[in-house]
Amino acid sequence: MSDDDFLRVTDVSKWYGEEQVLHDVSFEMDRGDVTVLIGPSGSGKSTMLRCVNRLAEAQEGSILLDGEEVLSPDLDVDELRREVGMVFQGFNLFAHLTAVGNVALGPRRVLGLSETEARERAEDQLERVGLGEQFDSYPAELSGGQQQRVGIARALAMEPKLMLFDEPTSALDPELIGEVLEVMHGLVDEGMTMLVVTHEMSFARAVADEVVFLDDGRVVERGPPEQLFERPEEERTGRFLERIASHD
Amino acid sequence: MSVAGTLALAAVESLGAAARATAVAPPTGLSTAFVGDAVDWEFVFRNADYLGVGALLTIGLTVASILLGFVVGFPAGAVEVYGDGYLKRAVNVAGVVLRGTPIVVILIVMYFVVGVPQINLGVVSISSAMTAGILGLGLRSAAYQSQIFRATLASVDDGQLEAGRSLGLSRFEAVRYVVVPQALRRSIPGFQNEFTIVLKDTSIVFAIGLAELLTRGYDLFSEQTTAVLEVILFISAIYFVLTFTTNRALDRLGSYYAIPEGEST
Repeated sequence: MSDDDFLRVTDVSKWYGEEQVLHDVSFEMDRGDVTVLIGPSGSGKSTMLRCVNRLAEAQEGSILLDGEEVLSPDLDVDELRREVGMVFQGFNLFAHLTAVGNVALGPRRVLGLSETEARERAEDQLERVGLGEQFDSYPAELSGGQQQRVGIARALAMEPKLMLFDEPTSALDPELIGEVLEVMHGLVDEGMTMLVVTHEMSFARAVADEVVFLDDGRVVERGPPEQLFERPEEERTGRFLERIASHD
Repeated sequence: MSVAGTLALAAVESLGAAARATAVAPPTGLSTAFVGDAVDWEFVFRNADYLGVGALLTIGLTVASILLGFVVGFPAGAVEVYGDGYLKRAVNVAGVVLRGTPIVVILIVMYFVVGVPQINLGVVSISSAMTAGILGLGLRSAAYQSQIFRATLASVDDGQLEAGRSLGLSRFEAVRYVVVPQALRRSIPGFQNEFTIVLKDTSIVFAIGLAELLTRGYDLFSEQTTAVLEVILFISAIYFVLTFTTNRALDRLGSYYAIPEGEST
């Protein structure tokens, strides 16, 4: 826990009305780290992720990204989001735009690139995720796996310093999960800093530097995957992992 | 002062008159009861340019009112979805009042109470009655169009706005570049209805003395009372051509901008 952590989440709490959904959540990541948040549904892991780019507002605690306080009321959230990419469970591709249009929108409208530059960048990113043949397809013309890869390309086109993945494979048919995970493995190899909410334990085991297990809005246990998966210290962690494993 | 009722009565009487007329004059092969009388058709065609001027007025009123309705109604719909506070409440109240007031009352208020002036645009000058007509029909249309756009803006999934914002677009930009293009496409069917309604409701401007298509038809068959059926058929044909062509054009626009849908999901 050095002073130069890239992302440091400290005692983050959040309420929806009366109900507290996050209780003093803390963890930290270095640049280039992959941290995976796991936990049962309703455990607050997606909410925690969304607090990092302020799509959800935490009421207490601190989130330092590259030394800047994300939760500060003076922060320009649009500028924060420019630097933090997000991939959604439901893809959320812009339905009226082609694959290229989806990926080019951010560079064009947020970064101010010209039409041609934005298109070129979009094509590069789509090739990066293996969609060189689908430039002009609309979301509804693509398979779920292809749509999610467009979603990843859309986030990458902003050249983010941190990528957030909110259950990126949960809405996919089993045979389509592999192609998305493959793209994510590629990003890990390139050294991308990634905070990932997922139920894909094999992915977590393979690439995570740290796994954080959340339950009831609390961090129950965290550690390197080999430790957390093989020798969980908490009973709840073990029970959760058993339940997940029986579904695999 | 039910215009429709008067017209319906007149039409019924005219059918009777037509039947009597055919009993006296020998039929020309076909039964003429439903296609009218040759003399009366000749009367209609002789006055076709009188009706034509009325048709132009109808078209002008419709186009101007629909445009005004769009320019005011679209932002009003957006305020109802995305706005808050006093502005939202003000827009909401204005819409409820306009939608809840008979169009004749709106027109009379515009013309006699507000007293809108004549407008000189250099080339053309718009009479104060015409200005009142456009304002009345246009603002009422805005009140209805705002509801079309409110519904279609709200129908676009929240995830779309969220994805736009996650890229760093401001709320306004995300609505502008992501939500509005999708909402406008979904608005076309509702807009077709609205266009048809405004077109036919232009006839109500007779209340402030404007002689548009239907008013001129009324004048004509008051002059030659046996020609009610012929005049009404002729006018209906013009309305039909106007609504049909515009609706087909909007259909075209809709399919041109339709978002392709594949078989896979």
